[in-house]
Amino acid sequence: MRNSLLVAFRECRERLISRSFFLLSFIGPCIVLGMIYLAFSIGGQPKQHWKVLIADPANIMNSKIMAGEDKSISYSFADGYIEIEEFAEAKMFQEFDALLEVNEKVVSNKTGFVFYREKPSVRMRTQVQYHFERRLEEVMVKQFTDLPLKEFRKIKQPINVNFRDVYDPKDEASALNGWVGFFFGTLILTFIFLFGMTILRSVTREKSNRIVEVLLASVSPNQLMIGKITGIGITAFVQFIMWIVIIGLGLYFMRELLFPDMLDAANIKFHDLALDGVDQSYPERYFAAREYNQFVELIYNRVQFTNMTVFFFLFFIAGYLFYGSLFTSVGATMGSESDGQQFVLPIIALLLFSLYGGYYAMNYPESPLSEILHYLPFTAPVVVMVKLAQGYEPGHAHEIYVSLFLLLGSAFIMLAIAARLYKNGILQFGHRLRLKHIFKWLKSN
Amino acid sequence: MLDVKNIGKSFYRKEALSDVSFSVNSGEIYGLLGPNGAGKTTLIRTINRIIEQDRGSIRINGDLMTQKDLRYIGYLPEERGLYRGMTVERHALFLGRLRGLSKRDVHTKMAYWFDRFEINAWRKKRIEELSKGMAQKVQFICAVLHEPKLLILDEPFSGFDPINIELINQELIEMRAAGKTIILSTHNMKSVEQICDRAVLLDKGRKVAEGKISELRENQKQGLYAVRFRGNMISFVNALWTGFEVVDKEILGDDRFVVRVAMRADNSFDDLLQVLLKQVKIEAAWEVLPSMQEVFIELVTPKENLNNEE
Repeated sequence: MRNSLLVAFRECRERLISRSFFLLSFIGPCIVLGMIYLAFSIGGQPKQHWKVLIADPANIMNSKIMAGEDKSISYSFADGYIEIEEFAEAKMFQEFDALLEVNEKVVSNKTGFVFYREKPSVRMRTQVQYHFERRLEEVMVKQFTDLPLKEFRKIKQPINVNFRDVYDPKDEASALNGWVGFFFGTLILTFIFLFGMTILRSVTREKSNRIVEVLLASVSPNQLMIGKITGIGITAFVQFIMWIVIIGLGLYFMRELLFPDMLDAANIKFHDLALDGVDQSYPERYFAAREYNQFVELIYNRVQFTNMTVFFFLFFIAGYLFYGSLFTSVGATMGSESDGQQFVLPIIALLLFSLYGGYYAMNYPESPLSEILHYLPFTAPVVVMVKLAQGYEPGHAHEIYVSLFLLLGSAFIMLAIAARLYKNGILQFGHRLRLKHIFKWLKSN
Repeated sequence: MLDVKNIGKSFYRKEALSDVSFSVNSGEIYGLLGPNGAGKTTLIRTINRIIEQDRGSIRINGDLMTQKDLRYIGYLPEERGLYRGMTVERHALFLGRLRGLSKRDVHTKMAYWFDRFEINAWRKKRIEELSKGMAQKVQFICAVLHEPKLLILDEPFSGFDPINIELINQELIEMRAAGKTIILSTHNMKSVEQICDRAVLLDKGRKVAEGKISELRENQKQGLYAVRFRGNMISFVNALWTGFEVVDKEILGDDRFVVRVAMRADNSFDDLLQVLLKQVKIEAAWEVLPSMQEVFIELVTPKENLNNEE
């Protein structure tokens, strides 16, 4: 144990004092922040003209909605029920870009659905939601209270408008959250790859400069391997934390300094609004204030970062051990640098497949394949992050622990295999690595 | 101190060591000799527990060797490496601590050895900045830093200049005097003759010979005698007549020669001297023992090769 710690400390120290570590620790999160800044900045830009059909069988909205002077959107009303399939396929509805479904209990359940043909811009979503919300507020004020509309708005509950693809009416918000999970999963894979390659290089270097024989006269191969994986893992962990702190601080300052209007309710100037009627106009500055960037909301409001961060670290550690043992095995068994490059390709393929698995699970969260990928050790770190961001159905939260347990179990099996390959392969130099070598080394004690 | 008994090790179908046994006493320098591929490095790695033997046992002071005993062993492998990016001091600290020393102990011993090898000015330098000889000194220091009771050196002289070879030789002799046990694997037979007390000779994974250096040489002697004399070479040869045979000669100049002579029939060294005393002025005469180089070649050269050459 003491020797493993000494090896781990050396590995850690060597990397922590290197210039590349500090560069990656600062440049990496800055690039991520830059991308987030871009997403914030351009998130509300595109505009398009939209024709929205409002299906209001109970005539709750009384065929009225505020569209104002905004020429980019026009509404029509339909009295009866319209099936989603009918709206999607029927010729008569093809002129409409979206169907806003107002259910009979909207006043109590405060939920509406918008089925769109083409994904609307953020601005367009916001407008539709805003118009719908304002009109319902008026209806509710008339029906339930004597309060002035302005006062009512201060105490009202928000209306939940769900946007769904009419051709694929799945939960859109989950898909959006899924991107955050996918980002987290990708981050895990990126770190696993970067630090897995560090393990590979470290093992190769010790092997090629023959220091490994000096070390093995003091520590057992297992201690050396564990120390190495631990030391490099700690470095990865430190860098991870630096990334999270820098990105967290960056998001905080972005929110406070660069985009203060986006989320601050105080910036919404209600007194500037026209309050009633179809033809009400509203100043552009209000809309600029009221308009939220979907991405901003996603980052600041929707994602449960605490929960995600905990599992993020757990899956990172387990995933790192799993993939780290693969990189160690390749490093220990190779006879030359070029061997390592060849044999690292299957690991890269596995990582890419894992990435694809996450993407697939994000798009088809309920499919049987997603279910399998959720439990497969090499895809679990990304797929679980995606599912975690989308949210587990009630009663299914245990799945995450099953997946974590399977990943940890597989990681320990892989570590045992890596230890055997490391022990038998680390002192072999200059050979041309073949699969038969690997099988031989796996068989021998 | 160290008992190696019936050690066997195979790599798949190839037998690297076969029933090798020997004992190393405390306070001696023990030579581990053999041609390339004889199994020396495998044996050393087995003693260091880097690889595990298939058969046999290794005991230290009578007890079966364990991982803990590695603390009492210093090892300088043949293909030795250093972390090129680390400073000399950090490197020594890391390896010293791996051998069980405390930080303070490492610093104390480092100060002693750096002074002794005159590399104090280099302690903060990175290994990659050192010359090859300097780096080898660092490697030697790292092997002895924890004052091991048993020091195993695999080709310690390779790459050293004659001055540093002498320096290392002196260090080893001093360590022996201090009661340390040293196993020296080398192809430098001159050093073996100079500093080894005993040796074992391996060939193709098997023990070919073992014993004191003088015994090994004695066992391989071929009944040759050397005579250094002043006089006439023709007279010398005539005096030998049919009872002796001149094997070779060396001309020293000023009518002085050294001639190696083999006995014929039952003639003895006394007979030789009596014959020669009448003809030339003998300055010295002695029995010729083979050098360790000759012993080595004699023992490991396949006999059929010798026959072919004959």
